Amino acid sequence: MSTLAPSYCRRHPLAAALTAASLAAVLPLSVHAAGESDRIRELEIKLERSMQMIEMLSAKVQKLETGAGKGEGQTTTASASGKQEERMDSLERQVAQIGAGSQHKSDDGIPLHGFADVGYALSNRGNTQGSGPKGFGVGSFDLYLNPRLGDRIKTLIELIFEVDDGGHTEAELERAQMGYTFSDAATLWAGRFHTPYGYWNTGFHHGAQIQTAILRPRFLDFEEKGGILPAHTVGAWLTGNLRTGEGKVNYDLYVGNGPRIAANSLNPNMASDDNHQAMLGFNAGYSFGGAATGLRLGLHGFKMDVNDDLGNKTDVLMSGLYGIFLNDSWEVMSEYYHFNDRTLKSATPRSGDTQASSAWFAQVGRNFGVWTPFARYEKTSLNENDPYFFNQVNGVSYSRQAIGLRYDLSATSALKAELHRTRMNGTNYNGPIGDGYSEARLQWAVRF
Amino acid sequence: MSKFPILFSGFFLAMGASAHALAQELFIIANPSTSVTVADIREIFLGEKQFADSLKVVPVDNAAVQADFLGKVLKMDAARYSATWAKKSFRDGINPPASKSGDAEVLNYVKSTPGAVGYVATKPSNVTVVQKY
Repeated sequence: MSTLAPSYCRRHPLAAALTAASLAAVLPLSVHAAGESDRIRELEIKLERSMQMIEMLSAKVQKLETGAGKGEGQTTTASASGKQEERMDSLERQVAQIGAGSQHKSDDGIPLHGFADVGYALSNRGNTQGSGPKGFGVGSFDLYLNPRLGDRIKTLIELIFEVDDGGHTEAELERAQMGYTFSDAATLWAGRFHTPYGYWNTGFHHGAQIQTAILRPRFLDFEEKGGILPAHTVGAWLTGNLRTGEGKVNYDLYVGNGPRIAANSLNPNMASDDNHQAMLGFNAGYSFGGAATGLRLGLHGFKMDVNDDLGNKTDVLMSGLYGIFLNDSWEVMSEYYHFNDRTLKSATPRSGDTQASSAWFAQVGRNFGVWTPFARYEKTSLNENDPYFFNQVNGVSYSRQAIGLRYDLSATSALKAELHRTRMNGTNYNGPIGDGYSEARLQWAVRF
Repeated sequence: MSKFPILFSGFFLAMGASAHALAQELFIIANPSTSVTVADIREIFLGEKQFADSLKVVPVDNAAVQADFLGKVLKMDAARYSATWAKKSFRDGINPPASKSGDAEVLNYVKSTPGAVGYVATKPSNVTVVQKY
């Protein structure tokens, strides 16, 4: 063949060209399908074994037919065939049961997941309100489990361990919620849940690894860290989505214990509602489909009556809107909160006043493979005459610019670096603050 | 012209074509009791749709051809798929689809599980083929 090939090509150039072209077309496909050749070999081996088995069974049937004579052979063949079918049916049932058993076992397991993060921070903050961190720190260790209790019953339990500013480890039952899914359009949860305003609070919460930035927007921080909104609610929450054409309407309706202000921080009133006046809230958004897949626009709001430990009572009325755009390349988020609060009872003779305030942030991140640079701007304009903000440690107007970079070590582990500049300008219970500070932070966050 | 080179060329072309076809075909399958449409597939595998009428939908991943499925149907890579389910699980308490090792396991699971939806690379039988890619 090798000695004939050159002379053959000279005598039949067209045929040789056609053969060469076929080889050229096939070789890339062969490379591409290299993985398939192993699979084909495996299938060929299995086919050969099946053929051998068929030949054996045919030989047995033939033996039965010839061994006992025509009449008896037919009866024996029918009888043997019937028994073989029964055996096959029995084997199939056993295999199905084994399969169902292994499936059942995997459903009985309790899926346990979580997040953890460690970091380093450097801050030049130092004023009457406190000082910033300097040095290494353990962030948080968050565990959550969602045992499957049936097709429609769901449970989500989340426990978090955090180190506070004083170096003490605190444990908190972050979420304890039980739900029943009526349909895709309605799931009713009861218990303690992440208050579903905006997108950030329920989308990321304590999940450091799934959040691009290190810090949350300051005004959306958790209650114990000085956040001015109730990040957690104990109550009932109805949520769902309804398909409309290419897009989908998402909604949340919730009712729960309104928070109170104690020791200048919001307390979500986990055990009972101190003033027996429930907090009501909603979130309604539209998730676009088609060419705008990834875009979601929504409205949100809540109403709550909040007492503080100085004798003030405020009717807090928040309304606002938000928008996100998430796809493989972009992560764009923005939320706006407008407050139209009314002082119902005041330690100073100012009842009946209405105070307007606002808070918003906008963050943009661009994904370049494992690298995601991001930038964020956030700002609050909080009315000093509103006791709801005045009596909270972070109830002071501020603005912050942040830039950062995220590097995905793996699908479940990320390194982040962040710089931000914060300027505060306002007055709270501690007095006037006109302070600016800068911080640099590093974080290693994982999920499992 | 001799028939040998033509046959020889045709053989190589057929080999290449069949290998390429094997690498490309993807069948979205469902248990016969499950009523799902092509438009539902993306929603099901991203945790946005949990029920088909009153039947709980049970999606199952096929590790052998998952990359192909993610690229063709969900238009995302494995990292984004994993991150999407991490967020879904964390926010809504929904667990990601179970992962089976290959076509045979997926096929057996879909046949025996009401509400099951999966995907295989070899042409299946005794299940509903929702879509072929």
